[in-house]
Amino acid sequence: MTRRPVKLLAGLAILGLVSAGCGVGRDDGGDGQTGAGVTSEPCPKAVNQDNGCIYLGTISDLTSGPFAALAVPITDAQKAFWKRVNQQGGIGGYDIDVTRYVRDNKYNPETHNQVYQEIKGDVLGLAQTLGSPTTAAIINDLESNKVVAAPASWTSAWAFQDVILESGTNYCFEAMNSVDYGVEQRKAKSVMAVHYAGDYGEDAAAGARIAANKQGVRFEAVETEEGQDNQAGAIEAVASKKPDLLILTTGPTDAAVIVGQAAARGYRGMVIGTSPTWNPGLLASPAAEALKAMYLQSGPWAPFGSDTPGHRAMRKALGKVEPNDGYTSGWVWSYPLKAALEKATQNGNLTREGLLEAVQSLREVDYEGMLPKEAGNFSGSPNQTTFRQSLISKPDESAPSGVTLQEDFFVGSTAKGHNFDKPCFE
Amino acid sequence: MIEFLQGVAGGLGDGSVYALLALGFVIIYKSTRVINFSQPAFMLAGAVLVSYLVGPLGFYLAVAVGVLVTAMLALGVERVAVRPMIGKPVFAIAIITLGIDIAMRVVVNGFIGTDVRQVGDPWGLASRPLLGVPVQERHIAMVLTAAVAVALLFAFFKYTRIGLAMRASAVDQEAALTQGVSVGTVFALSWAIAGGLAAIGGTFVATGAGADQQMWIIALKALPAIILGGLDSLEGAVAGGLIIGVVESLVGTYQADIAPWLGNNFAVVSPYVVMLLVLLVRPYGLFGTREVERV
Repeated sequence: MTRRPVKLLAGLAILGLVSAGCGVGRDDGGDGQTGAGVTSEPCPKAVNQDNGCIYLGTISDLTSGPFAALAVPITDAQKAFWKRVNQQGGIGGYDIDVTRYVRDNKYNPETHNQVYQEIKGDVLGLAQTLGSPTTAAIINDLESNKVVAAPASWTSAWAFQDVILESGTNYCFEAMNSVDYGVEQRKAKSVMAVHYAGDYGEDAAAGARIAANKQGVRFEAVETEEGQDNQAGAIEAVASKKPDLLILTTGPTDAAVIVGQAAARGYRGMVIGTSPTWNPGLLASPAAEALKAMYLQSGPWAPFGSDTPGHRAMRKALGKVEPNDGYTSGWVWSYPLKAALEKATQNGNLTREGLLEAVQSLREVDYEGMLPKEAGNFSGSPNQTTFRQSLISKPDESAPSGVTLQEDFFVGSTAKGHNFDKPCFE
Repeated sequence: MIEFLQGVAGGLGDGSVYALLALGFVIIYKSTRVINFSQPAFMLAGAVLVSYLVGPLGFYLAVAVGVLVTAMLALGVERVAVRPMIGKPVFAIAIITLGIDIAMRVVVNGFIGTDVRQVGDPWGLASRPLLGVPVQERHIAMVLTAAVAVALLFAFFKYTRIGLAMRASAVDQEAALTQGVSVGTVFALSWAIAGGLAAIGGTFVATGAGADQQMWIIALKALPAIILGGLDSLEGAVAGGLIIGVVESLVGTYQADIAPWLGNNFAVVSPYVVMLLVLLVRPYGLFGTREVERV
């Protein structure tokens, strides 16, 4: 009795291994070249039964990691994005499937690599690889296998990776623009960057430092740890030194603790947080008054409730959801991949090499107004092509995601003149 | 001086939350010899429950109901996942509690969703002068609540029959069993009390900026507190929690000026440094029972 299930399991395991092996390099036999992750059979639950299927993988922080609150809406928005693409007929005779190979990285680089290896053979590229340290764990593999991937992070390091299809500006330029804005528009004489460690916080702090030095104002960077209980040092630094401009690169609750507590101790400066520091829930927090009085939020694109064709299409595709800029980000990050797939099918080469070639020939991407077309230029050196404009929003209880636009796309003098020849935090 | 006293006051506030959480760990440890790693999940669950109940019930009633429901939840978890393991190595049970923690947090995260949830407390970030020092009202509330909870708890252990039974089974389970103490009830009750305390702690943590999916990590601050105070000592848990809170707050306030060479954010590791220093002198913690082992 006990032997049989074991044998059965072993048999199933072998079958699984064999079929997984066969999955690599499936061919559709249709027009043009195809490779891994592309089949002539329709997608599961295909919108267009006559189309073949392009499988894209998603590796995100879906359950217990620190960015799950952002990652889930990002992933949902991308499912909605590609569903819309399919409803519009797909791309070059193919539907796009982003639902079959969705994996949870728990924001752990090892897990990220492990689940990537699991799905690698079955996907053409990655519709999402969430996080900088996690993506760093697979970047060499992505490069050597020419697997094109849309990131879910804004570090300046991505500009230097061919296979990463980043959208919008990075933390570094975003912070430069914020400092320029604070100094030029609001006459700030001192700048402090309170930031997490790693290439989220350090990238922004590096950008802020470059801009402060260029502007000739005092600058200080204070590194802080994650966790509401770990902000005493940051609060002390802000409350005692009272910088005219505070650049924040933390998570939302930590930002609220720092701003709220510093305000309770008499701080009245101007605070600009990078996009991941905001959550609409903060407008109901005890720090709301302080945030409304002092806080501005920089970002690579306009918030959820904005009025562009892309934003409208996103809201329509998502239906009734709790507004959150995770959705906006997931949606925007998908446009360059769509453009690259279109180009690759036009070129008749839907292999990984073909897709990478298509990416490298992209000079512009139609973001349906969510970003200017030139933000999708992937065909030159980072210094020539990286998009440097960001925008600034302010808290607004009546807006869907709690912020409305204050300054539309702009590029400050520092970012404009910066020689971008390496990631800012290096 | 004012800065120092403010630091102490804030530290005592945070410290009393650590003390509540530490008490939960210690109560379960005393009765079952298991370190219950699912305390963080109960803390998060309690805060999130309150955030949902505060709308219809108002803050104080919401906290009362939230504490009660979290206690029942802990009771249920003990019954389903821990009770069948009695008699197995405590190490195995501790690992099970780790699993419970992760599973529960995934469920609770579903209720947090993409937002930061607010518990709607009446204090906000308002301060009031206390002996000339501006102290945040929520910190005063934390200290008072913890004091009341601790007093009730100590009275419960001292003056009630079931409290006595709990102490008896903590000393010697088999002897208690032969005297007619229902050890099962003791286990269940210790989990329920720990769950309730975690819910109070969680609510207070969320008064600063709200509850998000990462808030659970704060419960782990109770670990240096219980090691510092002595794993099996209720007094130790309270003292440990308060010491950790104050040390962390003062180090956070002064370290960057006095000892910048210690690097950034030394406050984060300071609880563990204090714990190590105390353990060098008193290996069983400040109030822990010295174990006699024959070698």
